[in-house]
Amino acid sequence: MNALAQQQQALLGTLLALPGSAQAADAVTALRALVHSPWARGLAAYQANGHELAERSLRAAYPVVAALVGGDSFATMACELWHRHPPVRGDLACWGDALPAFVDHNPQLADVPYLADVARVEWALHRAAGAPDAGADPASFPLLTQADPATFTLRLAPGTAVVTSDWPVASLVTAHLYEDPSLAVAAGRVQARAAECARVWRQGLRPRIAACTRAESALLQAVVRGRSLLASLNEALAVDAGFDLGQWLPDAVTQGLVLGTGPLESTP
Amino acid sequence: MKSATVSHDAPSPRAPAVGIGWRHPHYAELLETQPALDFIEVHSENFFAPGGAARAVLREGRASYPVSLHGVGLSLGSASGIDEWHLDQLERLVDEIDPVRISDHASFARGVLPGAHGPATVHAADLLPVPFSREALDVMCANVQRVQDRLRRPIAVENLSAYLRWQDADMSETQFLTTLAQRTGCSLLVDVNNIYVNALNAQLLGEPGAPLEACREWLDQIPGAAVAEIHLAGHIHCGDIVIDDHGSRVSEAVWTLYRHAIARFGAVPTLIEWDTGVPPLSVLLDEATRAREGATAALRPTPSGASAPVEALA
Repeated sequence: MNALAQQQQALLGTLLALPGSAQAADAVTALRALVHSPWARGLAAYQANGHELAERSLRAAYPVVAALVGGDSFATMACELWHRHPPVRGDLACWGDALPAFVDHNPQLADVPYLADVARVEWALHRAAGAPDAGADPASFPLLTQADPATFTLRLAPGTAVVTSDWPVASLVTAHLYEDPSLAVAAGRVQARAAECARVWRQGLRPRIAACTRAESALLQAVVRGRSLLASLNEALAVDAGFDLGQWLPDAVTQGLVLGTGPLESTP
Repeated sequence: MKSATVSHDAPSPRAPAVGIGWRHPHYAELLETQPALDFIEVHSENFFAPGGAARAVLREGRASYPVSLHGVGLSLGSASGIDEWHLDQLERLVDEIDPVRISDHASFARGVLPGAHGPATVHAADLLPVPFSREALDVMCANVQRVQDRLRRPIAVENLSAYLRWQDADMSETQFLTTLAQRTGCSLLVDVNNIYVNALNAQLLGEPGAPLEACREWLDQIPGAAVAEIHLAGHIHCGDIVIDDHGSRVSEAVWTLYRHAIARFGAVPTLIEWDTGVPPLSVLLDEATRAREGATAALRPTPSGASAPVEALA
């Protein structure tokens, strides 16, 4: 490794290695030999900036998790995630995808067992907000009655994703973001351990979330995976033999979830 | 719509183009009120997402103003090179927005750290200083060249506020930047506040010399023809360190240095930056007016035909 790479590794290690770890201690030792003294105050400024950025970025992507966890605890969580799963891109909007798994494996958060799924929903919303634009294509709908459903699929809205959970994740997120339902009602559903699936999509420029049935969830997940309409419908019917595509589709189109039909892009 | 006195494309002959950093709290107000500005500046990375509201609002802004794309994440000084993904996003944004200028910093943030599962690339999301060494210069020249080749146009590279100083140095900061511009054909973005913050921190560390005088010397060492944009912002004095937080009005000392810079460099496009505790839009517009007036005064010819003499730096 050349001198410049060593210098940069020392500073990056000092800023990003887990505080208290052997790696962090080694990085500080290396850095001390490379920079002018005094260096501690300057280093502290960079560290503080990193931690502030971490909290601000994570809060922007996970406002409901932040509300559920509370201010100080969320700041601590952001700081720990920053060091355990540091950014890899120069766009902080990409950072934070590791939070759901981080929450899942954090024993200190065991008393909020729905938190990881709430985080999954929020990350889906965050990604949907910037997903590539796509417009409705009404002219493609006649394919529904004119072609073999094994040969085409549905075109879904930008950012469409589904999160299935043993907890009322859709209610928890919408209660915090839109007060619908009320927080009290959402809390009651947590108490009752009401399982929900949440579907996320973008309608125009607005990220949206709604609860959906498990059959709808199965259908959407199959379409997102690139399966044909027929294969996707069969997955929904396997969950609920009573699922009615003809009833579901008009609502999905009205809400901007289904934009049209389109060719299969991969082998179903 | 805009004031009749200042158009976007043709500022008065003696005044530089003046713009403001366009941040989220002012997205709607700026689009609705369309104040008289010569350009707006945004942080490129905030608009990397290919679709959605952010990109749409930038397209609206671009329809009314020239846009200066200012990056904070290219990591031009990284020994690990430029992230291909980052360059892809920037190229797409540039192709869509057709910015009046593209810039980033003479800094690094990207590198490789050893990990439990092998080396891992990380990005510290900060503007970390590089040593002013020949090796660092070679790396930055190669990275800048790569960016310019991809974007098919020169970029501007900004001087930093640095809170650590590397021992390894073969040249001064101004020699580093000047050589970078000569070798790559890039422009320089001179952040006057950053120069002053560095000088104040040097003073706190006991270095001899008056900060303003040190800044004037810094500016005098930069070739004016290389300067494509000037940045002005506020800073905060924490007692034991001065931080370039972009959270207050431009200080009187920095205004003084700005007039000196304009007298030396000419009518260089000037940006008012404000990123922390963003105030009402009117405050930024007020600072922009002050920049325009200060630059005009600095450029006013003297009876002998030269620009106004540089004022004494107390």
